Amino acid sequence: MPQATRDIKRRIKSVRNTHKVTKAMEMVAAAKMRKAVSNVVATRSYSNLAWELVKNLARRTDSKYHPLLEKRDKIKKIGMVLITSNRGLCGGFNNQIIDRVTQYVRQQKEEGGIESDLVIMGKKGREAMLKKGHTIIAEFTKLDITNTIPEIRPLSNLIINDYLEGKYDQVMIAYTDFISTLVQKPRILELLPIEKREEDRYLGQAKTGKLETEKISEPKTPSIEFEYLFEPSADEVLGELLPRLLEMQIYQVILESDASEHSSRMVAMRNASDAAADMIDGLTLIFNKARQASITAELADISGGRIALE
Amino acid sequence: MPKIKFKIVTPEKVVYENEIDQITLTTKMGEVTILPNHIPLVSSLKAGEILIKKDGQEIPLAVSGGFAELANNNLVILADTAERVEEIDEAQAEEARKRAEEFLKRRGQVAEEAVDYTALAAKLEKELARLKVVRKYRRNRPSQPTIRLEE
Repeated sequence: MPQATRDIKRRIKSVRNTHKVTKAMEMVAAAKMRKAVSNVVATRSYSNLAWELVKNLARRTDSKYHPLLEKRDKIKKIGMVLITSNRGLCGGFNNQIIDRVTQYVRQQKEEGGIESDLVIMGKKGREAMLKKGHTIIAEFTKLDITNTIPEIRPLSNLIINDYLEGKYDQVMIAYTDFISTLVQKPRILELLPIEKREEDRYLGQAKTGKLETEKISEPKTPSIEFEYLFEPSADEVLGELLPRLLEMQIYQVILESDASEHSSRMVAMRNASDAAADMIDGLTLIFNKARQASITAELADISGGRIALE
Repeated sequence: MPKIKFKIVTPEKVVYENEIDQITLTTKMGEVTILPNHIPLVSSLKAGEILIKKDGQEIPLAVSGGFAELANNNLVILADTAERVEEIDEAQAEEARKRAEEFLKRRGQVAEEAVDYTALAAKLEKELARLKVVRKYRRNRPSQPTIRLEE
């Protein structure tokens, strides 16, 4: 059946093309991933120490010294920062975090009647959230790979200013935590007010049971209460330190998200390439069978004709 | 005598981590030397020198601004940049200082928005700190590397 073989051949060709595309995308994603991962790992110890310092300060310092340390009595409105990617084809990366946020926002509304405004970074998040009808107050362009802190300064300034003005009583940041190339976890982290919450302590090793217990057992937080001495003065040091370290934290969160995005895209593309290769193998087998069948049929025809003539 | 557990990190890496006997920092208010059992302290640092003393050895570092937190003999410095003396290339540092000065001098001649002068001033300060540290510790003991760091 030449008709059948031709069809199969066409399909093989189209699958092969797809395979080429996904293979290329996998390699591009792998290169970007390497960069993003090295960025995120490099700054992790700095930002973890910085965040620890901020939390320590929040616990031991009178909140009157800086408005960022003040706790609001009642949370009326949440500012939610959502970090997604610009492009798709990266597995469940965007959907997972968007679902988490949607669920969280709904829960807050149902339980406490708390409204949430969204600040979005990344095209995919904007599209999805617009469709769902959430209030988006700002959108920032997401770079493919974030390299320096000034690149995220507009975002951090907006958040800090809005919080200080009292527009929001709480600021959360939703991102995907990079644990390894194969594992990424969507997470919602409380950024402001600065408060001590155990689970927020370490980035890059989100709650996966084992990892956590190992980490927490570190000798930390002595039970003796003390207050810090500030030099030059509490106002001055905190005024400089808190925004800077918050900015650092936001930066780190974006780096985590970058690394997660590229690794999850690489993994998705690798799966697609593997599936395409399998499909090509399967189709080739079918093609060979069909070809052999048509040859056998032709031979049978010819020999059948000869026998009829004799 | 207890020691101070000391760690200095920059956004790029952990520059130095060890138990030390004493340390001198350049804070915004001037130089501070911290000995073990110091009271808890949070301070912002200026571009300048950090001198670590450990087992009779001196280890100088050049930093450009940052924060220091001390509690229970645990000292953490979050620096913007930090370098050991042997990592600094004197000629390059001099070059960088000149460039920064040059830019600052032309202030007013070029369109104001084109150059970020605060950033430039900070850079100049950083380069000056690097140069100061490198000159101070190289001139005394020329040629051979005098500071041996225990890893």
